[in-house]
Amino acid sequence: MDNQALSALREVFGERLDTSREQCICYSYDATGKMFLPDAVAFPTSADEVRRTILLANERLFPVIPRGAGSGFSGGSVPVQGGLVLSMERMDRILSIDEENLVAVVEPGVVTETLKEEARKRGLFYPPDPASLKFCTIGGNIAECSGGMCAVKYGVTRDYVLGLEAVLGTGELVRTGVVTVKGVVGYDLTRMLVGSEGTLGIVTKAVLKLIPHPETIATILAFFRSNHDGSKAVVGIIGERITPCALELMDRTAIDCVRENAGLPVPAEAGCALLIEVDGPKESVSAEAERVEQACRRYGAIEVGRAADAEGRERLWTLRRSISPALRQVNPVKINEDIVVPRSRLPEMLAFLADLASRQNLRIVNFGHAGDGNVHVNVMISGTDEDERRRADEAVAEVFRKTVALGGTISGEHGIGISKAPFLEMEVGPLGVSVMKRLKTCFDPNGILNPGKIFVEEGMARR
Amino acid sequence: MRREDLAALTAACAKCGTCRTVCTLYPERKAEIAVARGKVVLVEAAASGLDGDAEALQEALSDCLLCGRCERACPNQVAVEEIVMKGRGDLAEELGIPAWKQVVFGKVMPSAGGKDAARAAAAASQKLFLRKVPTESGLHYRFPSAFGQSGRTVPALPGKSFLGSLPRGEAVRGEVLLFVGCVFDHVFPRVGRAAYETLRLSEKGIAVLRDAPCCGLPALVAGDRPSALRCVEENVRRLSEASPERIVFPCGSCLVMFRRNMLSLLPKEHPLYGDAVRVADRCEDYASFLLETGVLSRLPAPREGERPGRIGYHDPCHLSGTLGRGGEGREVLRRAVGDSFGEMKGADLCCGYGGTFNIRDYPTSAKIGQNKVSVAAEGGTAVIATACSGCILQMRDMAARTDPSLRVVHIAELVFQAFSSR
Repeated sequence: MDNQALSALREVFGERLDTSREQCICYSYDATGKMFLPDAVAFPTSADEVRRTILLANERLFPVIPRGAGSGFSGGSVPVQGGLVLSMERMDRILSIDEENLVAVVEPGVVTETLKEEARKRGLFYPPDPASLKFCTIGGNIAECSGGMCAVKYGVTRDYVLGLEAVLGTGELVRTGVVTVKGVVGYDLTRMLVGSEGTLGIVTKAVLKLIPHPETIATILAFFRSNHDGSKAVVGIIGERITPCALELMDRTAIDCVRENAGLPVPAEAGCALLIEVDGPKESVSAEAERVEQACRRYGAIEVGRAADAEGRERLWTLRRSISPALRQVNPVKINEDIVVPRSRLPEMLAFLADLASRQNLRIVNFGHAGDGNVHVNVMISGTDEDERRRADEAVAEVFRKTVALGGTISGEHGIGISKAPFLEMEVGPLGVSVMKRLKTCFDPNGILNPGKIFVEEGMARR
Repeated sequence: MRREDLAALTAACAKCGTCRTVCTLYPERKAEIAVARGKVVLVEAAASGLDGDAEALQEALSDCLLCGRCERACPNQVAVEEIVMKGRGDLAEELGIPAWKQVVFGKVMPSAGGKDAARAAAAASQKLFLRKVPTESGLHYRFPSAFGQSGRTVPALPGKSFLGSLPRGEAVRGEVLLFVGCVFDHVFPRVGRAAYETLRLSEKGIAVLRDAPCCGLPALVAGDRPSALRCVEENVRRLSEASPERIVFPCGSCLVMFRRNMLSLLPKEHPLYGDAVRVADRCEDYASFLLETGVLSRLPAPREGERPGRIGYHDPCHLSGTLGRGGEGREVLRRAVGDSFGEMKGADLCCGYGGTFNIRDYPTSAKIGQNKVSVAAEGGTAVIATACSGCILQMRDMAARTDPSLRVVHIAELVFQAFSSR
């Protein structure tokens, strides 16, 4: 970025523009741990400031990278080509919660949990619940189309975005979508922007759908001897015509990480665990929980436990929650993928992963939202062994090929960012990539917005 | 920066961002540089040679209350406090320590004579120059706004310290040693007195160190490692010599210095390291010790409180958080004041003091502190009891600024009062 650009930005942001090395370092990374320094960071407080920034960026051709809380797992908010990071964390107001129309209007920097809590106070529910919900932001969730535990029943962020206000790569402020339950007026630009990873526009306001909060919830933890039994049970539960609001699977590798300190006794022969939640009106919840337990037993569960109060549920959840932190003890560096396969192909996918780990001599820990066929494949490596790194990269490529072959998708909720860009074409094909690139040109002709993401060769704007 | 040391500590950070949810300072700054993840990456960058401006880095590392919430929330248990303190220490070595800090931490704090002289001089000048603000917790003086302190008040300093008022020959030997701490000796001698008198009820021999140096925590958090080390060495030597069975701390911050920080400050090969470990093992907080001795069972059942729940307990970050001693202070209150104790709203909110943080950014420190006491007051608390000198200094200042009827006390004062009045 040149001095003229910086002094023009200074006029927009005043002291909310920072070029110091220290501030830039603090906006150089996300949860992938990859680090690229921006040239400057700005903290907008209005859509107009965002708009003026993008107009300037088109004039002086510098990259602009929107950022929420930097909790992403694909490098979506990392400034790979330098430029200006627009940190949206100060646009964090909930503008309204309309209890008659069940709609919330929020700024992008609102922390997901804050919105969920405000909705809860009114008996309402904003379902998306990515694991980082305590700190990630709605803007980031929209950019990456975040999912979470309850996606199996309630869907993902996309399903709750009714409309958006966003600044396009051209600097135009556009309003998309509706504030109503339905609307089919022209192309669905809202869905176009959701999951676009900040490459088409920067969201400055979101209209979100809320639903009535479920009355109660029950949690069931079931242990199985093998992945095979556990993943068959996943299919079996869905076959019961029950839709749990969480259906989490932990395979043997994951259970082994926490066997000793799971906070509750784990049967010695347990090789797979399912954590299942059902919610809804009191009467139906206990009947459904009963049926889930029966289904688990039918598929060979060796132990089934249920909790209906908050404390008991929390205890059952400790098993699942202690996995991520424990991964470091397996190996310090985590290559974290989030593939999805059709549920019925889970047994095959898990068998493939076990075989892959032994073939490539790698530690691979698998757990995830099995109810939607979403598996978090964590290849744990030392980070210091070149050959191990090479084998890990090969393994990841193999996982993606297998996923696509099974009719799945290479990213359920993390997005492509930089970490999966080389595999985009594997899934969507050359024509798919080409159509996407043409769309990108419409929204952002000068390649200002978040260059270097999603596509392997991208970024007409350079420092 | 001492690269290897720090690199080993920072490597544990997975950059997940969990620390953003609990940081006391983040809501004030709304910038990543305020939170642990930002600071850890800055230290990591500096340690790996990605050089920035040492002064700017020092500024970033100073902007932290060391409340430890990030560390306790961290899924990978990154030692944030240690990283920040080590970073401050390394940078102070690189950039030098400002003259006023050298005098305060190097000369005044390590010596009893220095602290006495400083208190006397300050007491005289506050009477001359500052305006009086009477409060429920004692007289305060207000700084003129011209000092850039936006309404800061300070407690009226006493003519005599607590230890200075003890007759010669008293509390010289005993199996239990009361480590009074600078603030409860020189600034709030009534707390020192209350702790001493109530410990004496245990029928154990209670001794004090008449001319104890500071615990060293203020110097350590300010990055002045040499002064902190001097305090630690002197204390370990004196305490090993006195060799009490137990060392009891009315102040949670002094205690965390002895139980935790002291051992990371002393290198393992230091001749006093072994002694320091033994000393640390014997250190205990006031409430735990009191409960253990059974003194409180001699109190008659507390009378009906004036209003149930009017007395609350504030969780000092170091005592309740770092050391996990939050229940003991509450139990002591329950026994001493009965129904009058009730769980306080926002009990575990940080008071915003943060040692030197309160000096370098008083407006922010006061904003956090003011929120703390007003949440408590709005919840119906009229008396905030706690067990840390920094928290009491800060919350008394906050009360004097906004609500002089709000009383801020040490739990020992209420215990002493309960014994004296029944």
